[in-house]
Amino acid sequence: MRQYIFNRLLQMIPVLFLVSIIIFFIMHALPGDPAMLMLAGAEGGAVTPERIAELRAQMGLDDPLHIQYFRFITGAVRGDLGTSIRLRTPVTQLIAERFSSTLQLSLVGLGFSITFGLILGILAALKQNSWFDMISMVFSYIGVSMPIFWLGLLLILIFCFQLNWFEPAGGTGFKSLILPGITLGLSSAGIVSRLTRSSLIEVLNEDYIRTARGKGLKEIGVILHHALQNSMIPVVTMIGLQFGSMLAGAVVTETVFSRPGLGRLIVNAILWKDYPLVQGSVLVLALIYLLVNLLVDISYAWLDPRIHYN
Amino acid sequence: MNAVMDHNTKFSQVEKISRTRAKLDQFAYRWRLFSRNKGAMVGLVILIAWLSVMIFADSIVPYPPLDKVTRARQAPSAEFWFGSDMLGRDMFSRVLYGSRISLALGVISVIIGAVPGTALGLIAGYFGGKVDDIIMRVLDALLAFPGILLALVIIASLGPSIQNVMIAVGISTLPQYARLVRGSVLTIKELVYIEAARVIGCKPIRIMLHHILPNAISPIIVLSTLQVGNAILVGSGLSFLGLGAQPPAAEWGLMTAAGRELLSKAWWISTFPGLAILSVVMAFNLVGDGLRVALDPRMKVG
Repeated sequence: MRQYIFNRLLQMIPVLFLVSIIIFFIMHALPGDPAMLMLAGAEGGAVTPERIAELRAQMGLDDPLHIQYFRFITGAVRGDLGTSIRLRTPVTQLIAERFSSTLQLSLVGLGFSITFGLILGILAALKQNSWFDMISMVFSYIGVSMPIFWLGLLLILIFCFQLNWFEPAGGTGFKSLILPGITLGLSSAGIVSRLTRSSLIEVLNEDYIRTARGKGLKEIGVILHHALQNSMIPVVTMIGLQFGSMLAGAVVTETVFSRPGLGRLIVNAILWKDYPLVQGSVLVLALIYLLVNLLVDISYAWLDPRIHYN
Repeated sequence: MNAVMDHNTKFSQVEKISRTRAKLDQFAYRWRLFSRNKGAMVGLVILIAWLSVMIFADSIVPYPPLDKVTRARQAPSAEFWFGSDMLGRDMFSRVLYGSRISLALGVISVIIGAVPGTALGLIAGYFGGKVDDIIMRVLDALLAFPGILLALVIIASLGPSIQNVMIAVGISTLPQYARLVRGSVLTIKELVYIEAARVIGCKPIRIMLHHILPNAISPIIVLSTLQVGNAILVGSGLSFLGLGAQPPAAEWGLMTAAGRELLSKAWWISTFPGLAILSVVMAFNLVGDGLRVALDPRMKVG
């Protein structure tokens, strides 16, 4: 097992390397001169050719592309992602400051989606083709088709302005995470519930379930001890993927609820044309996503003892 | 000699008719499967309604979408069904016009992703070996960007605009097509008729386009339909963030964002454009799932 984790971590290196090349290539090789965009964005108006040339030299943009990339990647390996142009602060420091807010939000979103999705999916599977099943299907279609930003605004409209249960923005503690968490988690809840339903129905038709029932176990015991665990394998994969979409979805949710997180930082960085900041934070998010997928793969062994890692 | 030719033409005519016949039967069968699905039919009706709105927008909207026609922030009324926005523009007309941008965004970004994605999948699957390794490694790295992150990076480089959103969303879905097509190609290329085509001297490009692609097209159609909805969702999200369509465009995400600051005073400005997005995206999801069942019940997409 330790060997497996080690190998997987080793395999991540070339992927991350490619990811960094892609980010770097997109940011540097496509049209648009960062120095000019930066001057236009940061200083407004005063864009003279001399100023651009000066800034290009200062940023090392006149060096060949592979040398610039080498500088970026050697820095990144040492934990130095450069300095934000707009905020004049190291990118790693900015990410570290915002990260916990985004992580909290994603975890609450994930928690909501798993709890709600599992309950809905299990009940739908047990009452297959009932009206409850029908409603849960409609719910999941709405969930995946709903724009995140609109859902957030609707929740604010209903729970903050009509019912006065929550503050529309700001606030601290768990209460301030409830509405953003629901906003972020609803679409995954829909996906998780559908997958749980189909997976559980499949498992319930297996022979060993009939055996368990045949030897006189109570239905609740059959479901909790025999069926549920085995039906969770595809669901766990999906939850891993969903965590990635939460990290990305946080970009929108944080804007709707004015939360100072990593997603908001990226959007602002794009609007400010702050290249080092965009590059650095996207690289960090991709790294986190890859690590989460590794955790998901490891959790298979715990769920399904038949799986061995060698 | 003449008799032989005559016989041949006659034979090919008969063959042609029976082939058309078979295709029609096939289509009727698929349609029966599709139309039995209530959800898919609801989706289709919504979709046709939005398509008609898109085509006839000029003649059905009550007011020009970009002009001030009344006082600002008027609540919905008999005259202005969806109310007016902060600049006194008619929300109903703007929402109807918004269908043009959103549907175009959905379809164009799917083409931008599906065409090169399919081509890469065909090449990777057909040639295998090193070519396959290189293409798939790069695409796997693209898949390491969760959700809209890749689209965000591309927008960051190209600058915010609706055209760039189409490019960004298209490119970020490209790996999914490549993986899907590669999977189908791997099974199809082992079949005997591909071997036969190779033996009679068909070039790889002909085998890929004429012999493999037609048999791998069903999952591509399903994925594309679902992706149109997804692209509209992502695209309007980017516009909401200020990274897509720019004012005064009548774009749904942008309109929702404009109403955000006025939520407590004028709920209708954000509510109706969002409802429009929900209905269109849901229609594409319903039709996509219906197609999945109709084209191949065992097929898995995504």
